Amino acid sequence: MDCPLCKHQPSGLPLAVEVNDLWLSFGQVPVLRGVSLKIPVGQLVALIGPNGSGKTTLLRCMLGLQQPDRGTSRLLGNGRLDQVLPRVGYVPQKLSLERSFMITVREFLALRLRQTRNWFWKSRTSVDSELVGHLPDIGVRGILDRPLSGLSGGQLQRVLIAFSLLGDPELLLLDEPTAGVDTPGEKSFYELIAQIHRERKLTVVLVSHDLSMVFRHASWVYALNGVVCCEGTPEHVMNAESLKQAYGIHVSPYHHHHHDPSVPGHSHGMV
Amino acid sequence: MEWFSDNIYLVRAMAAALCLAPLCSLLGVFVTARRMSFFSDTVAHSALAGVALGFWLGFSEPTIPMILFSLGVAVAILWLKETTALLTDTIMALLLSGSVAFGLLIRSQLKGFRAQFDAYLFGDIQAVSDEELIAAAVLSVGIGLCVFWKLNSLTLLSAQEDLAHVAGVNVQWLNYFFVGVLTVAVSVSIRLLGVMLVTALIIIPAAAARNVACSLRQQILFALAVGLISGVGGVSLTDRYDIPAGPTIVLTAIGVFAVTLVVARLRSRAGHASGREGRAS
Repeated sequence: MDCPLCKHQPSGLPLAVEVNDLWLSFGQVPVLRGVSLKIPVGQLVALIGPNGSGKTTLLRCMLGLQQPDRGTSRLLGNGRLDQVLPRVGYVPQKLSLERSFMITVREFLALRLRQTRNWFWKSRTSVDSELVGHLPDIGVRGILDRPLSGLSGGQLQRVLIAFSLLGDPELLLLDEPTAGVDTPGEKSFYELIAQIHRERKLTVVLVSHDLSMVFRHASWVYALNGVVCCEGTPEHVMNAESLKQAYGIHVSPYHHHHHDPSVPGHSHGMV
Repeated sequence: MEWFSDNIYLVRAMAAALCLAPLCSLLGVFVTARRMSFFSDTVAHSALAGVALGFWLGFSEPTIPMILFSLGVAVAILWLKETTALLTDTIMALLLSGSVAFGLLIRSQLKGFRAQFDAYLFGDIQAVSDEELIAAAVLSVGIGLCVFWKLNSLTLLSAQEDLAHVAGVNVQWLNYFFVGVLTVAVSVSIRLLGVMLVTALIIIPAAAARNVACSLRQQILFALAVGLISGVGGVSLTDRYDIPAGPTIVLTAIGVFAVTLVVARLRSRAGHASGREGRAS
């Protein structure tokens, strides 16, 4: 299904993500029905769509966490996941950590330090001295002694981002990163992602249900509903007709909550 | 020297406790983190069928059939989990009750081995043989080294499986490895603790350590200490009062757990009080 209004990304740039004709069914339920997309390096791309549209499944297929029925995906120009995964960061939707597991933020982050072969034998000071050089200043340094299972949703997401950035990734994949984060936390979280994208010049692919965030920060948007219904700049995809195709119902992003002149179309709609 | 030869069974039991209690405690930290308590209980109970089968086949020491049968059940759990839509709990309940029923059915056909069979239910320190002690020592050192060798991957796997995969951990291999070492550790510990109570020595030290630990490193170290205290203390009490080994070791562990609970409560109360003072000043 090709949206007549769709714009395609400029060709010729090296690709960070290339997905070709991906199909996947869970039992009798088709989730991905021939998804193809090409994401050039350096973009901040959002995957949007209603519940069950295959956003998370698509991300999981890209990372090899789910085997597609057919189709291929390549990350950073390499089809071999074992070679490319060290260059990829991943922030999962949540961390279903048992309260009985007393791992601290410091111990968790030490697992991602290249120099750490076995965290158990590393002293606290040696982990800290390694973290100082690598840990981005995203509000994690003050909570290194806290157990991971006792963090708030927002703190945990920051720790997960810090964890993924410690590997110096070229591509960062985030799956609904603000699930479990309160609304003010969500806003600052997306600003943080945009800042990381600008400063590190890495490619970011973000699964989101939050259209206002997409409008503010994404450079390109894919609207998904089993297939790619529509792609383009946020202004283009936020067009109500395109969204209707993606969500199968009439939704408008133009639900005003407050005016923000910095945003074209000043939309703050949430689906 | 005379005491040594008179009490050789006690020396063997103490040595077995020194090997197996820390091993079970170390694994317990990851078993509780990965919600695998019911899994260890299932393989422990399935070992009973292995014991019965071993006696029925004519083994005088059924350690090998016991380990093999437990490993078979562990593989069956993983296979059914991957190839059916059944919930893991359902699969384990099915295999636990099935293997206990199978074991009891074979037990009813045994002639002359029933007392030895029953010793596996509740543990028997007098029954630990030299061969079993050597097997326990070799397996404990081997498994302990393997766990520390793979500690980074195992820690990440226990925190989040998907993150471990993206960080380059071979998740499927490590899952099989952990299930394998847990199954072997449980099977070997049955001699000392009995089928009914072996899971307790895996869970209680980790839970007690969690009450007082402020980090995962502390939780591992405290769990090892609680395991050692329970194992050695339990065997000493068993010898002194002539009571069954398994229940004594487990009740010692629960005693230590109760102490850690009180310490945790006192510490938390002290923390709240100093917090209030800080705010007041």
